[in-house]
Amino acid sequence: MGILNAFKVRMNTLAIVLIPVCIAIDWAGHAVASGLKLPLFLDSIGTVLGALLAGPWVGGIAGLITNFISSGTVDPIAAPYSIISLAIGFAAGIGGYYGWHKTWQGRVALYILIVLVASIGSTPLNLGLYQGQSGVPTGDAIYAALVKGGWPTWLAAYIDEASGDIPDKLITVVVAILIYFGLPNRYRALFSVWRRTGDEKAPAPAPSV
Amino acid sequence: MAGGLSLYQEGASLLHRAHPLTKGVFTLSVIALAFIVPSLYWILAIALILLILVIVAGVLRRLIAVALALLLPIAVLLLAVQGFANPANHTVLFAIGPVVYYTEGLYIAAIAALRITCLVVATFLFSFTTRPADITEALMQRGLSPAMGYVVQSALQIIPQTLDMAGRIQDAQRSRGLETEGSLPKRARAYLPLMLPLVLSSLVATQERAMALEVRGFGLPVKRVRRYEFADSAVQRVTRWALALAVPAAIVARLLGWK
Repeated sequence: MGILNAFKVRMNTLAIVLIPVCIAIDWAGHAVASGLKLPLFLDSIGTVLGALLAGPWVGGIAGLITNFISSGTVDPIAAPYSIISLAIGFAAGIGGYYGWHKTWQGRVALYILIVLVASIGSTPLNLGLYQGQSGVPTGDAIYAALVKGGWPTWLAAYIDEASGDIPDKLITVVVAILIYFGLPNRYRALFSVWRRTGDEKAPAPAPSV
Repeated sequence: MAGGLSLYQEGASLLHRAHPLTKGVFTLSVIALAFIVPSLYWILAIALILLILVIVAGVLRRLIAVALALLLPIAVLLLAVQGFANPANHTVLFAIGPVVYYTEGLYIAAIAALRITCLVVATFLFSFTTRPADITEALMQRGLSPAMGYVVQSALQIIPQTLDMAGRIQDAQRSRGLETEGSLPKRARAYLPLMLPLVLSSLVATQERAMALEVRGFGLPVKRVRRYEFADSAVQRVTRWALALAVPAAIVARLLGWK
């Protein structure tokens, strides 16, 4: 059991149909943010929401294909980062499997996990592609100051990347959780990531009123 | 965005006619090689090959427009930061007051920018000459699950619809007095009222779509037939293998001291 149980493939038609919708939400999240001229990407709300609703595979595949499609249409540099989107979907799916989004401590843990996955994963890519910069002017100004001050490039690159991820993923997780709880109960139950296996006991029946 | 997401441009060039997998393998190998080769001259050679292919495909003008918009800010940022702060810096190129600019950083930034240029140009060349439907069809013929093919194709259709809907929701909310301009906190507060209705309405449609697909036999464990065959040739097969093998060969050469 344990963590691997979250990855058991439960891909019915409904879960597959959810994936393109999550991809579209990723795009819309980014488009609305740039329409409002917000200084954040907000392009993984669908990934996190899909993972909370239907598990790590739906979230991960949604993230992966979001990046593939954007690299084929608007931004080729998104392609190498598709692996990070996959990891964010997996992370959120594991969090969702354990029901982290239902408690306050869990929500904070989910946020921290996603920030860590995104920033630790992106840093080696930034080092390979951009010599450690993140391509965001404010972050790169921090990077320049730190390297100038004698910090090792990998650490400066990490802080550069994290300075973008910390606010970005906060809004992403908050919006995804708000939407999750805005959905009708009946709808959320359709996906039910969490399913009892044979050796787990059924919960006590609800008290009759 | 209303016209769909695809960048594909009709054409009859050699690249348009090539098998989608040949183009896919070419794109991936060229990008990998651009990051593996050791010096500026090798990267320039790859860039030159790409430029010739772009001209052959007849997409030069469109490519310059989209690639410049993407590459210019990145190149400027790289040249500014690395020339100013790179651990290898010691030869002064010029100094304006306290700001000193170094040669080594400039060289490193130029290499990084050229590699990214190769990545961007190779990817756009692929997108300009290949229909998205063709690449998913070709991959499905090689064993990609039809469900994944559906996901990609469906996403390409749903994304423009969702973006249209985002525009309509923005108009509707503004007519109710939602402020979408002004200070940053004001604009940030508008984010949720725009996203919530959008996401809820697009999610609720999924259940019907799933049922519609299932009654049409989606997910049945049957053997699928090919909609069409792509023209393939021995030359293309050899090219694919040669390109795919060039990448590990280049990595081994680098490990053995290729400078």
